[in-house]
Amino acid sequence: MRKGTYTMLSIQGLKAKVADRDILHGLDLEVRAGEVHAIMGPNGSGKSTLAGVLAGRETYAVTAGKVTFEGEDLLALAPEKRAAKGIFLAFQYPVEIPGVGNMYFLRTAFNALRRARGEEELDAMDFLALARERMKLVKMDPSFANRSVNEGFSGGEKKRNEILQMAVLEPKLAILDEVDSGLDIDALRVVADGVNALRSAERAMIVVTHYQRLLDYIRPDHVHVMANGRIVTSGGPELALELEKRGYGWIEKEPPARPAAAEARP
Amino acid sequence: MTLAEKSFADQLERAAGVEWRPAGEPSFVCALRAAGRETFLRTKLPTLKHEDWRYTSLAGLAAQPFGPAARARVPAADLPPAPRLVFVNGRLAPDATDLSGLPAGVRMGSLAAALRERPAAVEPFMGQVATTRDHAFGALNAGLFEDGALVDLGDGVACAATLHLVFLTVASGAPFAAHPRNLVVVGKGARATLVESYRGEGAYLVNAVTEIALGEGAQVEHDRVQEDGPQAFHMGLLQISQGARSRFTGQSIALGGQLARVEARALLGAEGASCDLHGLYVAGGKQVLDHLVYIDHARPRCVSREVFKGVLDGASRGIFAGRVHVREGAQKTDASQVNSNLLLSEDATVDTKPQLEILNDDVKCSHGGTVGQIREDQLFYLRSRGLSEALARAMLTWAFASEMVQRVGPEELRARVRRAVTARLPSGSLLREVA
Repeated sequence: MRKGTYTMLSIQGLKAKVADRDILHGLDLEVRAGEVHAIMGPNGSGKSTLAGVLAGRETYAVTAGKVTFEGEDLLALAPEKRAAKGIFLAFQYPVEIPGVGNMYFLRTAFNALRRARGEEELDAMDFLALARERMKLVKMDPSFANRSVNEGFSGGEKKRNEILQMAVLEPKLAILDEVDSGLDIDALRVVADGVNALRSAERAMIVVTHYQRLLDYIRPDHVHVMANGRIVTSGGPELALELEKRGYGWIEKEPPARPAAAEARP
Repeated sequence: MTLAEKSFADQLERAAGVEWRPAGEPSFVCALRAAGRETFLRTKLPTLKHEDWRYTSLAGLAAQPFGPAARARVPAADLPPAPRLVFVNGRLAPDATDLSGLPAGVRMGSLAAALRERPAAVEPFMGQVATTRDHAFGALNAGLFEDGALVDLGDGVACAATLHLVFLTVASGAPFAAHPRNLVVVGKGARATLVESYRGEGAYLVNAVTEIALGEGAQVEHDRVQEDGPQAFHMGLLQISQGARSRFTGQSIALGGQLARVEARALLGAEGASCDLHGLYVAGGKQVLDHLVYIDHARPRCVSREVFKGVLDGASRGIFAGRVHVREGAQKTDASQVNSNLLLSEDATVDTKPQLEILNDDVKCSHGGTVGQIREDQLFYLRSRGLSEALARAMLTWAFASEMVQRVGPEELRARVRRAVTARLPSGSLLREVA
């Protein structure tokens, strides 16, 4: 399959709020199979809300708009159904779950997805072999397999654990929410290498980040800039470099370029 | 007088006759029974006005016309490995009992038999550990017990085998009450692992008293697993007396019964003793599961630790009262207490009451606790990876409870407790091979 052969995700006029605060004010975006989209923007622009809404977090209420994933109404689905369809969110703040073993959790998730897709489950031994192999991808110490999910992990270990989960669960659409936050340069490289290894023509990625730095390691096909709950300008990788030079201030002053959705539509 | 009081009083009156039986019990037992009888007739069943019973109503118990324990055959319950003593309706069941593998220096058998055959071994301890005054259920037990276990380890005996005491109660007809009584004497420097299990079916009261005396430097691990039937009333009094530098580690797993109360009372009566009393209660429906823990720091340099966790679903209630008493002379006391609760429904409630009474300055005491619900962020994290909401909730609930299950020492018992706990969790059947 060639890159960009079909529209995997289509977002139209998406509005959402948290508690009583409107965060997304009509957002449009199209993502085709095989593409990597970077979403940048200042703090509070709605980047993480977009990520949460796509994954189905119930603390966000969608008030208007449409999201179609592989031709299906995504917003009607529970988070676990979205996961079964192939959506994966790498959390900005991975949650600690004391008392739940990392491998036990991952195997349960892996097999839940397989069951939902009508596929055969893997037994503990076969799964362990798969997980061990994927752990190498993110240079994770095997001792992390037996620890509780994210409990006592450093910032970098948590992010690596997210990428490990992604490598094992093999989503169609991965949404990486500030996967670079809190990482030193070595950890960033490991995480980015893991992400790059998972790029394929069948998989799309939305990389949410505040900083251009991450995009030196994960080269996007498209860059979008969010402000005030909308995508205000879109472009290629060069847009990220411009943001690095000029900061976000000019975005709100200058009239935005054509939104990405319009650009990407055939 | 309530129905239960009347039936217990009638039983006490009949039991009082033992004093004049020609082949009767030793005089110290007669005295114990008489004191119990006198105390119960005076105190009667405690009401909500009683400080120790503020959150637990005995109205349901008081309305039951309990008769004496019926004879019953041993039900085909899965029994733990030997060495084990099995009691059915408060009486020893010799067919189910198996004492093979009992190491030298360890004696384990029927208390009633020991009172007939070697009362001198029992007299210095019986009723001496369980000295709680005006304790209605302790008194009732003293007045009415028929049998129970006597476990006796000589000085320096290290018993590697886990000693199992199993109490089955089978009420096929009219409700009745059984009052098992156990005495465990662990000699100087001796070591033992002891498990008390309670199971049953039908409507009954099991009112158990266990006295454990630890000699100097003795070490005891004690697991108490209560899986009584859904109609049962369970009253348990565990009374521990510790010698110098002895170490007691106890765990109370409370799962069954419509109303179950366990009191664990430890006297740290000599220097350098350490006592861990932990517990887990998992309740649903209209169950009431109550724990009262009392630790008496009577001497210097003793350490106590309490961690109790509760999981409450339906309209169930959990009660935890933790009392730490540091006496004037007990310098360098180190005591901590934590009670955490997970509420799975809006109708479930918990009353948690830490009480520290500290009568000297040179101590380190802490207490803490939480009452919470399943966290939204954890639930979303699991669901975003493909786990159904029911499975995610079961996994998080298990994660909360599992810390206490892991503390159960004997592996075979830990596996059993794990199965019993997960079976009681909402959607617990979805959990497979939990770590």
